[in-house]
Amino acid sequence: MLTLSGRRSFRDFDWVLALIAILIVFFGTWQIHNAQPEETYWQKQLFGLGIALVFMLIVSFMDYRKLVDLAPAFYLFGLALLVIVLIPGIGMKINGQRAWIKLPGLGQFQPSEFVKIPTVLMLARFFGPHRNGPLSIKEMLVGGGILGLPIGLILLEPDAGQAITYFPLLGVVIFLSSVRMRLVVAAALLSIIMIPAAYMLGVKTGKIKNYQQERINVILDPENADRRGFGYHTWQSIVTVGKGGVMGTRASSEFSQSKLKFLPEPHTDFIFAVTAESTGFVGCILLLLAYAVLLSRLITGARRAPDRTGMLVIMAIVGGLAFQIFINVGMTLGMMPVIGVPLPLMSAGLSSVLATFIAIGFAISIQLRRFVN
Amino acid sequence: MKFEDDSQNLRVRMRVLQILIVLLISVLGVRLYVLQMMKGSYYAERAENQRIRLLPIPAPRGVIFDRNGKILVDSRPIYNVILSREDVKNLDLNQFIEPFSTGLDIDPEYLRERLEQIKTQPAFESVRIKENASSADQAWVEAHQLEYPQLRVEAQPQRRYLENGTLAHVLGYVGEISPEQLEQPRYKEKGYKPGDIIGREGLEAVYDHYLRGRDGYRKVVVDSRGRIQDVIEEVEPQPGQDISTTIDLDLQLVAEEQLRNSPKQRGVIIAMDPNNGEVMVMASYPTFDPNLFSQRITSKEGRAEYNELVRDPKTPLINRAIQGIYPPGSTWKIPMAVAGLRQGAITLENSNLVCGGGITIGNKFTRCMGNHGTPDIRYAIMKSCDGYFYRLGLKMGIDGIMKMVDDFDINKRTGVDLPHEIVSQTPNLFKPMMERRGQAWKDIDTVYSSFGQVYDFATPIAMLRAVAGIGVGGRLSVPHLLKEARAVSEVGPFAARPAQRFDRPDPKIVPIPQDEHDAVVKGMWSVVNDAGTAARIRMAGFDIAGKTGTAQVVGLGKDTGENKDHAWFVSFAPAYKPEISAIALIENSGFGGVHAAPAVRAVYDAYYRKTRNEEPPGAVQVAQNKKTTSGGAGGSPPQATDRRQGE
Repeated sequence: MLTLSGRRSFRDFDWVLALIAILIVFFGTWQIHNAQPEETYWQKQLFGLGIALVFMLIVSFMDYRKLVDLAPAFYLFGLALLVIVLIPGIGMKINGQRAWIKLPGLGQFQPSEFVKIPTVLMLARFFGPHRNGPLSIKEMLVGGGILGLPIGLILLEPDAGQAITYFPLLGVVIFLSSVRMRLVVAAALLSIIMIPAAYMLGVKTGKIKNYQQERINVILDPENADRRGFGYHTWQSIVTVGKGGVMGTRASSEFSQSKLKFLPEPHTDFIFAVTAESTGFVGCILLLLAYAVLLSRLITGARRAPDRTGMLVIMAIVGGLAFQIFINVGMTLGMMPVIGVPLPLMSAGLSSVLATFIAIGFAISIQLRRFVN
Repeated sequence: MKFEDDSQNLRVRMRVLQILIVLLISVLGVRLYVLQMMKGSYYAERAENQRIRLLPIPAPRGVIFDRNGKILVDSRPIYNVILSREDVKNLDLNQFIEPFSTGLDIDPEYLRERLEQIKTQPAFESVRIKENASSADQAWVEAHQLEYPQLRVEAQPQRRYLENGTLAHVLGYVGEISPEQLEQPRYKEKGYKPGDIIGREGLEAVYDHYLRGRDGYRKVVVDSRGRIQDVIEEVEPQPGQDISTTIDLDLQLVAEEQLRNSPKQRGVIIAMDPNNGEVMVMASYPTFDPNLFSQRITSKEGRAEYNELVRDPKTPLINRAIQGIYPPGSTWKIPMAVAGLRQGAITLENSNLVCGGGITIGNKFTRCMGNHGTPDIRYAIMKSCDGYFYRLGLKMGIDGIMKMVDDFDINKRTGVDLPHEIVSQTPNLFKPMMERRGQAWKDIDTVYSSFGQVYDFATPIAMLRAVAGIGVGGRLSVPHLLKEARAVSEVGPFAARPAQRFDRPDPKIVPIPQDEHDAVVKGMWSVVNDAGTAARIRMAGFDIAGKTGTAQVVGLGKDTGENKDHAWFVSFAPAYKPEISAIALIENSGFGGVHAAPAVRAVYDAYYRKTRNEEPPGAVQVAQNKKTTSGGAGGSPPQATDRRQGE
């Protein structure tokens, strides 16, 4: 029995999924090196990958259903971490955000990255059971509550960028839990109308400050925005991307935008701009394709999930990753305002890599159990 | 799907999500295509522009020497504070005014002007906001590098002129090219750019094209803070051509001292070689310090100093030698005498005319200073007899006087190689002017025109040229200051520049028969070497031929204090083989023989010492201020021999 299940596990393990993820991290590590050749970020990233692979394997060979059963405990533990990080002396303040906990020897880790996992498990546990009929208001409110607690705590750090990445988790779960289509359409329409309307109203009444307007202006018209002030990041990012051209500059010895410090945060939030500069259109499209394959692979896994709970876990992960990719790359390409969201698997940062691989571990675990019923 | 959930359209919903993801990624792909494939070269250029910078390496400007190789102007390195434009393109420049003006001690108004200029400049240019930065200023820039990465300190050669304003009017000064000049095609064509140092006055301006070097540059890579990361290319500057002038600094200093010690400290002394027009001395007082323009003009104090110069009623910025016009008084009689003989109004055989102690035209009596009987031309010149010349003028007629003016080019510019020379004003100008107004030209006007008053106003340089030309037999050379612009060899992309000399026009020839020439020179010789009006400056063995002049500024009787007569002395020496010709005009001092002639004598003394290597005969007795010293040699200067005419 042990040998049989072991052999089957080995055969059914989603190697392709893991391999794509690992390749993206290697590609990212190369870009981190391009961005900061004199720093040790790229070595730390490889070290992080090693740890992350161990965690991925552990999670993937565990039964996800047992973990979902334990979700409330994880969730409470996660919330506790989010509270602890707020305590001065324990939580480290970087760029005005108290979002990191210092671990002696390991560097620092960011609870808000990890709490996504228990939040996903908690949502899956709540919305997982077999359903008959559409979602009730009460259920949606509970879902909102599960999401609201960590978001609220994260906003206290304050880290709006991380907080935003939580929303798609609930969105996907609700969408796949037979929320009435007309509600979805209504919400979509409402936001299309309301967001510009609210913006205009905010500008008129002065509720939206000048610098906030500038951030929007720079997206609408980067050429004429304040390129030295609030538009600086976006403008420099666009220039860096455009400069890459078809094949990119490749040579890292050259005076790149990041090396000359025109591009801010090149190894984290703007890693995609570095990629665009050094590998050009070809490299960027390959990377986007790799993400597309990774996400398709996960969606395929979700289709094969043995139960609704597993499907929801994977799809929430898909939603979260896709959203982060779009927000981050969109920001780099000057289509989105500047929000501090890392690019999954690419940006330097132990927490992000580790959290992403744990999520992938869950997806693998769920697939491994597809024949077990 | 491993579980049954079809009632909720789960398959469709998952498909929707999948399509949504593909759509979003496609949007990113399209955007990438636009940025990298369509506009890639545009952004590459933008990236290039912000990291590549051209830093000019200012070329040293040519040195200016005197005729003996003494340095008159050179350059030494100073440090300027530069604001680079690329870094402030979209910033509100007014925010800099307060911190820069206090931190670097710059006049806020001046700074505002500079920052205004920057807006019209093309990319890669920078603006100098403080010249001659002190070490404290440099430290301030260094300390505020993080706050103001746009600032940097740059070495630049700065002009250094002689002290005490020596030769200020001749050398001129340099300054930054003005926005108005930049608009003009002749500067544009030569590749001048904002911030360039250009000659603004004097020889610096006239020979800017020789003196100016070709700036080199360094092409560097800078980071976002403007710090230099690498030098891609470096082009050495080519220095400008050095210039040798015809000035003799030793004589110049003597002349300036004479003016400094003159009663009103105002006046002109010019000396030149009558044979070729080389100007050895050109002193104009009061003078100014050209270093003000090259060193201090950007400071508050410097601007105040400049405003004071402009407002000074003594007009220190004016080069009196070429920009001052004065009634020439009796010096006018020399060209008159030559013309009188040439035109046949008098002859060598019979040059005698009545003095009569003056002349009555209609009911108006115009007097002479003495009564000289019926003098001949020599005696009339020696004693400066007005009565003689009244009648000579009447015999020549106004047309004869106007022909004289025209022959000796007194109604034209001399063509000296200095900017802003003005034209003398003579009957040739006034007579047609009066006739246009319907006023008749009367005999009394001809009388006035014949002794250098009322209708005669000449620049000292024009008078000197005419008399010096007479001294060498009627060859009027163009006075000039350039001896040679020295060659500069090829540097990098800049071609070699060959040596250049003054493009000397042919002298104007006024034919004067030898005997007529001798007669006039004899008269001039007598002025100094006989019982003439300048007998006090006689130098035995170095025969000066000259003519005094005492030009009235106001009516007779009011000529005291500030309104005293202008004292003139125009001369050449040695009388019959002239090597040097000198003129002095001492403003509002009194008699020409008392104040102007000794000033010229001092120059001749210095010249004699240099060329003869011995002490000049008849030791120097110079009129010091109002103190009258008696001549060391020859004739007895009677009081007020030159005193004369009323209106």
